[in-house]
Amino acid sequence: MRPERPLPPPPPSQQTEEAAAGAPGMDAPTKLPDPVPSPILRHSSANSMRRSRSLRSLMADSPSVTFATNNLRSGSKAESTASSLESFRFHRDRSASGTPAGLGRVSTRRSASERASSQRDLHDEDARFVYINDAERTNAPPAGLPDNSIHTTKYTVLTFLPRNLYEQFHRVAYLYFLVLVALNMVPQLGVLSPAASVLPLAFVLGVTAVKDAYEDWRRHRSDKNENNRTASVLVGGVFVPKCWKEVQAGEVLRVVANETLPCDMVLLSTSDPTGVAYVQTINLDGESNLKTRYAKQETMPTPAEALAGVIKCERPNRNIYGFLATVDLDGRRAVSLGPSNIVLRGCEIKNTAWAIGVAVYTGRDTKVMLNSSGAPSKRSRLETHMNREVIMLAVVLFLLCAIVSLLAGIWLGHHSDELGVIPFFGKRDFSDKDDPDATYNWYGMGAEVAFTFMKSVITFQVMIPIALYISMEIVRVGQAFFMVQDKHMFDDKRQAKFQCRALNINEDLGQIKYVFSDKTGTLTENRMEFRCASVHGADFSDTAGSGGADDGHSVIGEDGVVLRPKTAVKTDPKLVALLKDGAGANADRARDFFLTLATCNTIVPIAVDDAAAAAAADPDPAAVTARLLEYQGESPDEQALVYAAAAYGYTLVERTSGHITVDVFGSRQRYDVLGLHEFDSDRKRMSVIIGCPDKSVKLFVKGADSSMFGVIDKTVNSDVVQSTEKHLHSYSSLGLRTLVIGMRELSQEEFQEWQMAYEKASTALLGRGNQLRNVAANIETNLHLLGATGIDDKLQDGVPEAIEKLREAGIKVWVLTGDKQETAISIGYSCKLLTRDMTQIVINSRSRDSCRKSLEDAIAMVNKYQSFSTDPQLRVPLALIIDGNSLVYIFDTDWEEKLFEIAIACDVVLCCRVAPLQKAGIVDLIKKRTSDMTLAIGDGANDVSMIQMADVGIGISGQEGRQAVMASDFAMGQFRFLVPLLLVHGHWNYQRMAYMILYNFYRNATFVFVLFWYVLYTGFTLTTAITEWSSVLYSVIYTAVPTIVVAILDKDLSRRTLLKYPQLYGPGQREENYNLRLFIFIMIDSVWQSLACFFIPYLAYRKSVIDGSSLGDLWTLSVVILVNIHLAMDVIRWNWITHVAIWGSIAATWICVVIIDSIPIMPGFWAIYKVMGTGLFWALLLVVTVVGMIPHFAAKAFSEYFIPSDIQIAREMKSQDFHDVTRPEVQMSTVSRA
Amino acid sequence: MDPLEMQDDSKKSNKPKYSKFTQQELPACKPLLTPSIVISTFLLVGILFVPIGLASLSASQEIVELVHRYDTSCVPLADKVGFIQDTKTDKSCTRTLTVPKHMKSPIQIYYQIGDFYQNHRRYVKSRSDKQLRYKDAVHLTKDCEPEVYGADGAPIVPCGLVAWSLFNDTYTISVNKKAIEVNKKDIAWQSDKNKKFGSDVYPRNFQNGNLIGGAKLNESIPLSEHENLIVWMRTAALSTFRKLYGRIETDIMENDQLTVVIQNNYNTYSFGGSKALVLSTTSWIGGKNNFIGVAYLTVGGFCLFLALFFVVLYMIKPRTLGDPSFLSWNRCTLDYPN
Repeated sequence: MRPERPLPPPPPSQQTEEAAAGAPGMDAPTKLPDPVPSPILRHSSANSMRRSRSLRSLMADSPSVTFATNNLRSGSKAESTASSLESFRFHRDRSASGTPAGLGRVSTRRSASERASSQRDLHDEDARFVYINDAERTNAPPAGLPDNSIHTTKYTVLTFLPRNLYEQFHRVAYLYFLVLVALNMVPQLGVLSPAASVLPLAFVLGVTAVKDAYEDWRRHRSDKNENNRTASVLVGGVFVPKCWKEVQAGEVLRVVANETLPCDMVLLSTSDPTGVAYVQTINLDGESNLKTRYAKQETMPTPAEALAGVIKCERPNRNIYGFLATVDLDGRRAVSLGPSNIVLRGCEIKNTAWAIGVAVYTGRDTKVMLNSSGAPSKRSRLETHMNREVIMLAVVLFLLCAIVSLLAGIWLGHHSDELGVIPFFGKRDFSDKDDPDATYNWYGMGAEVAFTFMKSVITFQVMIPIALYISMEIVRVGQAFFMVQDKHMFDDKRQAKFQCRALNINEDLGQIKYVFSDKTGTLTENRMEFRCASVHGADFSDTAGSGGADDGHSVIGEDGVVLRPKTAVKTDPKLVALLKDGAGANADRARDFFLTLATCNTIVPIAVDDAAAAAAADPDPAAVTARLLEYQGESPDEQALVYAAAAYGYTLVERTSGHITVDVFGSRQRYDVLGLHEFDSDRKRMSVIIGCPDKSVKLFVKGADSSMFGVIDKTVNSDVVQSTEKHLHSYSSLGLRTLVIGMRELSQEEFQEWQMAYEKASTALLGRGNQLRNVAANIETNLHLLGATGIDDKLQDGVPEAIEKLREAGIKVWVLTGDKQETAISIGYSCKLLTRDMTQIVINSRSRDSCRKSLEDAIAMVNKYQSFSTDPQLRVPLALIIDGNSLVYIFDTDWEEKLFEIAIACDVVLCCRVAPLQKAGIVDLIKKRTSDMTLAIGDGANDVSMIQMADVGIGISGQEGRQAVMASDFAMGQFRFLVPLLLVHGHWNYQRMAYMILYNFYRNATFVFVLFWYVLYTGFTLTTAITEWSSVLYSVIYTAVPTIVVAILDKDLSRRTLLKYPQLYGPGQREENYNLRLFIFIMIDSVWQSLACFFIPYLAYRKSVIDGSSLGDLWTLSVVILVNIHLAMDVIRWNWITHVAIWGSIAATWICVVIIDSIPIMPGFWAIYKVMGTGLFWALLLVVTVVGMIPHFAAKAFSEYFIPSDIQIAREMKSQDFHDVTRPEVQMSTVSRA
Repeated sequence: MDPLEMQDDSKKSNKPKYSKFTQQELPACKPLLTPSIVISTFLLVGILFVPIGLASLSASQEIVELVHRYDTSCVPLADKVGFIQDTKTDKSCTRTLTVPKHMKSPIQIYYQIGDFYQNHRRYVKSRSDKQLRYKDAVHLTKDCEPEVYGADGAPIVPCGLVAWSLFNDTYTISVNKKAIEVNKKDIAWQSDKNKKFGSDVYPRNFQNGNLIGGAKLNESIPLSEHENLIVWMRTAALSTFRKLYGRIETDIMENDQLTVVIQNNYNTYSFGGSKALVLSTTSWIGGKNNFIGVAYLTVGGFCLFLALFFVVLYMIKPRTLGDPSFLSWNRCTLDYPN
């Protein structure tokens, strides 16, 4: 009935609230809870009592006041319903204060009881003291409160360099390279020239630093804009504009309609005489409906400039639904303040001309800032796995160095007597004439061996590919660019592009195993539509013949203004006719039915300017002004029902707390709301007690069918009950949300009895909620069935198809919703999550014991079904439906394991009535116990915790504000974009990135091995034939571009194929593109290629005149050609960019080698020209390339043909049917339109 | 105007501009390793490599190479090092060789040194290329350790171990007792003479320290004309290497008697190196080396074998390309009928 509520307070605050609401034994007398924050006009709280009082008195002269005021003076026990109603109210007032009725008395009484408790709750040392109108004192030390400026930037000009470097060096790989650079600076170890050794690291650090600086500059710009917005602040008795950043706690601010609040402030007064202010919290929690906040009656009458007092409030915290404070005005009395008295930064004031408040939390203390700490940075699974291989490479590196230094030691030992005279060793320093035994650069054997080890680390350092880290960043940016640009993920309706907010987990999108989805706003549009009505056993769902748009829609307001409901609802003409002209029982039932829809709710009608009509239709200002009637409320279902009632002629036009005005086919009627029993999840229904104009008192009830049929008097009109049940079944099988409507006329006695009970319950100090519930349950009996409604919770485009695709792809879709179970199940059916052939396991427990029992039953059931058939094809699909209460018990205890077992066995999991933190708990349940990747998708603030918990978080940038998007890693407009995102881009990203990492390992290893083989022939002295500049440029220029280009552009399969066969997503989930086996294979290949590359020229040039530089050039070129051809062999799609990158790299290498060899002072001057002039060089280049590539080519040819992967077969299919290629690729939108 | 609509207008620019590039749909070629491509690749390599192998093998066979190791026979058995270090003794040593085959001019004369690590790190680095090139860079000797300063304390030109250890054996060759001229010009790279070694840089302080490493240089001739030094300074890649000593520009007939008078000055005895004299004709393949021909033949043959191997494999176990029934999930259903 109600949509999922955003963030019921998370546990900590829940506890405080519960404790406050009356945990027995804690502190008696317990304080009354503060008015519950969101619901509008609730009668259950003293606060609304107070408001009803004031509203009444304000409207004393209103002509619509009908009968109640007449009896105002009677004072004694009234005979009429109306008078008893009045006396009831008086009575309450008296009992409250003992003073004559007036403003503020109720609160006084409340504050008296609250004072004690709230002071106990809030200890001075945990409190912040805010002196109203006295910012100086508030901010005086030791308080030291921050000003209202916000700084989301990380750096300043001065701190940028040190801090950025510090952050970058958190990467262990960078530290490793830094150590190597430092080592290389030691004279004895100087393998490379200083410039050559610093270059790679400097390059990598520089690129990242530029990127970080740019990002920070953008943050700085947005901060500046935000900080320089102006607010109206009370200075010296007048409100003057002031920059947001200068606002201080303690200052009094004035905010006008549609203005954004600059800080968290406690309301002091508003334009509304009752102190109501409406706020929209869309920026904070994503809810678009208006919330009511109240200024305290105590602060209302005093002009803001004259106000003095101290607010004692909690220290800043992140809970946006909790606030605990007291205000002490003039040191006289402490008035307690709750979450309904504070408005938060980022909210907007709506429908309230102005509001005045005192800033309590400013700048970084505001709840919105405390909540925007940003998503913790995530690391992709691939990168985590990569570390394993990096460690293995480090071991290999260590081994190589150990071998070299060991052999060097042996060689030195062998020649130890000759070292002084060996001309190529030169141990003796001949320059030093004084000391005939002087040695040059010789520190003894042990030191030589140690130095050799360190020098070999420096020489072979690229074994750990530093360029890989920067390549990955570049590739991710490139991949993100293509994801953002993808037209298939552009939401035309909202003009919303796909957003990549986290740039380091692109490849995780290709490995998702679990999708946790929010329901409202994610699967559904969160727009309810009234579809059918079953009235007194007759079904009215044929809206095809709906009349003109204006038919019965517009009403004339009091001042002659035409009010038109904002949303038109299609009507069934038969039902309209019945309502208008019908007579008899059926027609009366129908009228009561719609009266119930119009009254039994908490909707507030608000008239807004009809901009469209004003602009389009009537430029003539003299024309009758038309306004739109907008129904504001928490529950979209209720909104839909009220709009429907309006369409059928029962237009709710006004609501005060005491009465509502309904326009019934043009005549205004006033109904007194005598009582309202809120919806609660136990009763699953709500009811109102209405005093009708004909002085009868009626109880209108609407609720879930399961609960309603229990309280309906089935003895009368049993055929109606039966046919209604039939209709309900057909509605819900259509995926509609159903409600059953019932009513009962109350006799005088019944009413008085109820009234007594209600009064008692609502003033009770202990267990008020339970008592009220009992009162409601007692009166909601023996109802007459009026009918039922069917509301369509419109699914977003393409949701069933998207879920189907995801399921085919082997992704488990779990829906976590705050909705009640019935709704969740019906949506489950309509989005094809649940199917009729599924066996449902429902865990829906009200106590710890029953929870355990149902868990055990469920396990037994799962085991039964599993043993029933091991054949996956014949397996009965299972669906687990579990509610939030049970989850509380489960997470409290150690039954998580059991839940996990069940959940894993089920194909579908539906969690209903879950709190935001429970959503995160469920994600965590899977994350902790499996190695599978999780993805959470949601649109509201209640999904934030889940989005942050999951490996990949996706925000739907829908109507529900920005919170989810802010916390997400990716944001998009529609749920269905998940399909191209995961199946297409995720697949590509994973495949490309996996290949790139492996390739980078291979590429660098090949080079290092070539160096290593040579070292074995130089007396183990770390000489490299390849020039040091070539070694440095190797991974930066010679081979870097092709791998990046391929990792951004290559596609193993086309979008069309990937969407056609969702199963092709499987390789990512099974980690088939990156695993130890592949790593070992490619390393073996690397060793082979390095052997070919080294030993063929070695054997050919043995005992020849070849000089080091020429041979080095040959090795450089052949390594580069080998690794590039290796890449070329694995490229799947050759477009011109790939061609340019790969062949261009080889050419670039050649050019670089030529340039290096053209510098006269380099030892290798002219070597490349000389060596290229010999036939042997070309013959060797050719044979090295061929020998190096034969194993890779043969293995590839073999495995692709004889042990083909699914991807390989799909590739072949694609190239087989050429006629298909010419057809445009299937658009996702065709899926969506279905 | 309706503000909402205006907003829409401004937001229109949000829409990505579509192009083949942004949609990742650039025209592309998607080659597949079909059996025909695999087989023809191997065949092609085989067919290409076998002739190349044969050609280079025959070129290598045509080369006439005469290698004579003389380091062991040109010294007394006892105290080789003492003998070689004694500057006073006459170190000339006459060897007679018979030419096995007709040698066409030009005949290259190399000296071959074994186990001399010209690629040793300490050795390779011990030189100053700037000093060799620029007259003013005499003092840029920081890398030349431990051969930096001569007896007078002034920098050595050319400094460093490489120059210091310059080879100083000499060969006088006569064919059939008739002396022939050995041309020692143009044995170094032209580029080195022109650009790398300065024509205005003269040797100084060279080989006048405590220990003589090798040849001395005429201080009146600039470095660019000391071709033996230039050849020596181009350090060899491997520990056993040849360096060009000179050229004989006349043909030598089969069975001619070559008499070589060797001045055996260079000390390879202290580290167990070897020395040999090499006379060789040349061809496009360089020196005499059968390896490259054998390598080509082997690879070519192996590729032909692989081509055959794949033909057999494809025949034994054929598979229709792109048959959906091979997809893993389709295979699953085959395993479980119904």
